[in-house]
Amino acid sequence: MTEKTVVVIGSGVAGLSAALELAQLDISVEIVEKSDFAGGHAIRFACKATDQCVKCGACIVEEKLDQAVRNPRIRILTGSRIESISKTERYAISLHQKPKYINAKTCSACGVCLQQCSQDGAIIQGVSRNHSPFFALNEKECLYLADQSCSRCQEICPEKAITLDARARQIACEADAIVLATGFAPFNPQNKPYGYGVFKNVVTNLELEDILRREGRVVRPSDGQPAQKMAFIQCVGSRDAKLNHLWCSKICCGSALRMAALIKARQPESEISFFYIDVQTFGRDFVPFYRRVQEEVRMIRTIPGDILETPEGQLRVTYIAGETHETIEEIFDCVVLSVGLHPCKENLEVVRQLNLKVGDSGFVAPFEIDGEASNSGVFSAGAVGGPMSIAESIASAGETSLKILKYLEI
Amino acid sequence: MTGKTLLIGSGACAHRIAEDILTQESDLIIASTGEVFGLPKTPVSIDMAEEWAMVYTKTKVHSCRGAVGDFKVVLERNGEKKTAAVDQIIIAEDEKRIPGFSYYGLTQTAKVMALSQLEKLLHDNSEHGDLFSGIKTVVFLVGIDAESNPVILEEIMQSCLKLQAEHKRKIYILTENLKVAATGLEKMYQDTKAAGVLYIKFTHARPDIVQVADGRVRIEFTDEVTGILLRLAADLTIVDETIVPSDYATDLARIFELEEDLNGFAQGDNVHRLTVFTNRKGILVAGPTRSVKSLPDQFTDADNAALSLRKIERHPADQTTDKAQIDNGKCARCLTCYRLCPYRAIQVNTRVSIAPAACEGCGICLAECPRGAISFLDQKKTAGSGVPAAEVKRPAGESIIPSITAFCCRRSAASAAQLAACMGKKMPPGFRIVEVPCGGSVSLSHILKAFNSNADGVMILTCHEGNCHSEVGPRHAQQRVEQISEHFRSIGLEGGRLVKKTLASNMGLEFAGTLIEFEKQLLEMGPIRLKAGN
Repeated sequence: MTEKTVVVIGSGVAGLSAALELAQLDISVEIVEKSDFAGGHAIRFACKATDQCVKCGACIVEEKLDQAVRNPRIRILTGSRIESISKTERYAISLHQKPKYINAKTCSACGVCLQQCSQDGAIIQGVSRNHSPFFALNEKECLYLADQSCSRCQEICPEKAITLDARARQIACEADAIVLATGFAPFNPQNKPYGYGVFKNVVTNLELEDILRREGRVVRPSDGQPAQKMAFIQCVGSRDAKLNHLWCSKICCGSALRMAALIKARQPESEISFFYIDVQTFGRDFVPFYRRVQEEVRMIRTIPGDILETPEGQLRVTYIAGETHETIEEIFDCVVLSVGLHPCKENLEVVRQLNLKVGDSGFVAPFEIDGEASNSGVFSAGAVGGPMSIAESIASAGETSLKILKYLEI
Repeated sequence: MTGKTLLIGSGACAHRIAEDILTQESDLIIASTGEVFGLPKTPVSIDMAEEWAMVYTKTKVHSCRGAVGDFKVVLERNGEKKTAAVDQIIIAEDEKRIPGFSYYGLTQTAKVMALSQLEKLLHDNSEHGDLFSGIKTVVFLVGIDAESNPVILEEIMQSCLKLQAEHKRKIYILTENLKVAATGLEKMYQDTKAAGVLYIKFTHARPDIVQVADGRVRIEFTDEVTGILLRLAADLTIVDETIVPSDYATDLARIFELEEDLNGFAQGDNVHRLTVFTNRKGILVAGPTRSVKSLPDQFTDADNAALSLRKIERHPADQTTDKAQIDNGKCARCLTCYRLCPYRAIQVNTRVSIAPAACEGCGICLAECPRGAISFLDQKKTAGSGVPAAEVKRPAGESIIPSITAFCCRRSAASAAQLAACMGKKMPPGFRIVEVPCGGSVSLSHILKAFNSNADGVMILTCHEGNCHSEVGPRHAQQRVEQISEHFRSIGLEGGRLVKKTLASNMGLEFAGTLIEFEKQLLEMGPIRLKAGN
């Protein structure tokens, strides 16, 4: 029997989990990842444990990536996008992989390129020890790629691991089945009246994950000082009938309250307010966790109207108090918008090529509904089909893997 | 190895698993408490299914011995016992529901009922005419004081839509937090609102609920949105239900020695058990046995369990971890290992032995065995973790670079250390990492040897409490630290030279910070000097 091959599009937790399940059943897997670093959104998430693990699952993403890079049947193609898909006997997939400016084998992650780079943001850093190379070149910022005016990193790299003239590659893959695991896109809150993108201290929950990961505590993006008074605003872009976003993004209550508890543990002097519609249950230990959080975090059951910046650079949040129905203006150092999980618009072309159906919400229809797609060897896993937690994405990948085995008659 | 699987369960999840296994033409024993267990007709014929599947109905598990690949499960039916030899076990028992009458101070009557009763009536009603003819106002009480979940909310909203479809009734749903975090529920919430269902949410205040003589319920409250005092007279009041493990599922958790979560479900609340795994290899839990699950989620679990079986069938022997073994010449049969093994891999017969297939190689037994009778099969590993010499060149006279030995769990801190290095974080020059399989495997003698090899300070870096794959590693590490620190203090040595900290694999920043902080403390303490006179 010839060995079967499955192409998994997306290297987030769902894609990695599906790849691992399949590889353990002796199927070869090619993972196509558009960004420079594998692991999806969740590889950037901070561990939210205080002394107790709060079951956010961030470490499990790290573990999956670790297992995937070590598995000889799995190849992860970062910096790659799909150019075309066609099907005769098997699927023939043509990929475009951007140049490998930094050689993974020779790079020692010394970080000299990042320190010496003359253009901010032109060298970007990974977040996992399994990101190899640990650095990548940001094509949009690099001066060499713009006008060849700087090649400093290439000159000073002690390992001679950088080649600024590296060429892009075309890769052709054949596959017996395809898994779409491209995940979600975070809602862009720019059109909400919260000043996102204008006021530096208004950040999204995903950006807060990054800050916690990088700094170990919350600092205001405007001046790097610790944030004293913070607010979380839930359901930004979810449960929003005006935008016709009729879904709960499921993960934001857990993510925000776990981060709030972590911040209180690390910065006990901080004051945190939590603006919400309904608090969703997350985790098996939700009841005691929520009870504890309510003692530390001020819970305010309303969604603020708008945010303005004071001349001192603080944020004035306007909301209507639930009990008194008064309009209140309150000053915060930093506001975190819990942005919803949205369908990934970038995939639409791939979705079209794969003949997948898209539901009213814009998420890919699950294969129970779309029997046609699974008969043709195209499957989906994880949040591409709708908001999912890390645990649910892993379970979804398992379910998909079994369907693939049945389809391949293994 | 018998190649057989035991499936325990009677409901939808168990049936789905049976179907998955039988299409694989694998041998299956089904133990169901139900009267019948219908085998799937497709895609295999019923005759063939019967050939592969041995079905025991009205049967419970009495006891179990052995380990993965060699379980001996005693099944009991009407007092008659039979032993089944199986390689692996899947538990997919159904849930139990407890109506919340007492939360609302209500008694069950014809007009006050639990959600399941209503659902049954609605189901029967579709065949037997309208039982709800005189009922104008229906009130649902859900998740006030006790947290609810999306599974219950979906059932309530489905019931509302049915009640509303036939007659225009006034339907109120009184709740604290509306649990819409499941696929399609926000949409259904909007649909029910459009159908005329009114939602009243409570944040701090609670409704006044009084059950009057005719069985009807009067409810009084101030609406939080409008601030208006409202009174409802409910012709029919439906109370929500708490979903808990069935009594039998609880028995099974005890029989199979499975970890339980806070709510008594037979799966530890530990991310390493995702999706259907337990602390015991070869025992899987699916659907309502492991948590509150909607039907689609139960099927997802069922598929994950079936997938795991296929993996086991393809690669039965697990060679991913090193296994512990007992030297019976040294063993005193004190059963410390049996008591401590989180994976129940220790087997007590005429001799005490370790089932290699069940052993996860955590080394907790090694660290605690009072006779030193346990070692890893791979001897290098034992030796490697045994001599953690922290070699630091010291200038003549004073030590200015504290030498630190950090015992790091391979699942967490050892990875964090590598990440810290990638991130270019500054770390103390005199530190040395000893990678260990689990924080709980670091024994008293490991720690003392580290000090004996000139360490100024020793750290045990474990996973966070509740994240340890062996569940108890951080606690063992903590106990050992406390034990030795006390002795240190009694001989005039600073207790702070030995610490336990918790880290996750993605905490590179914190790894470096923890070590730098420890080095600072050690610098303040100076080199180890035992006080004269103590």
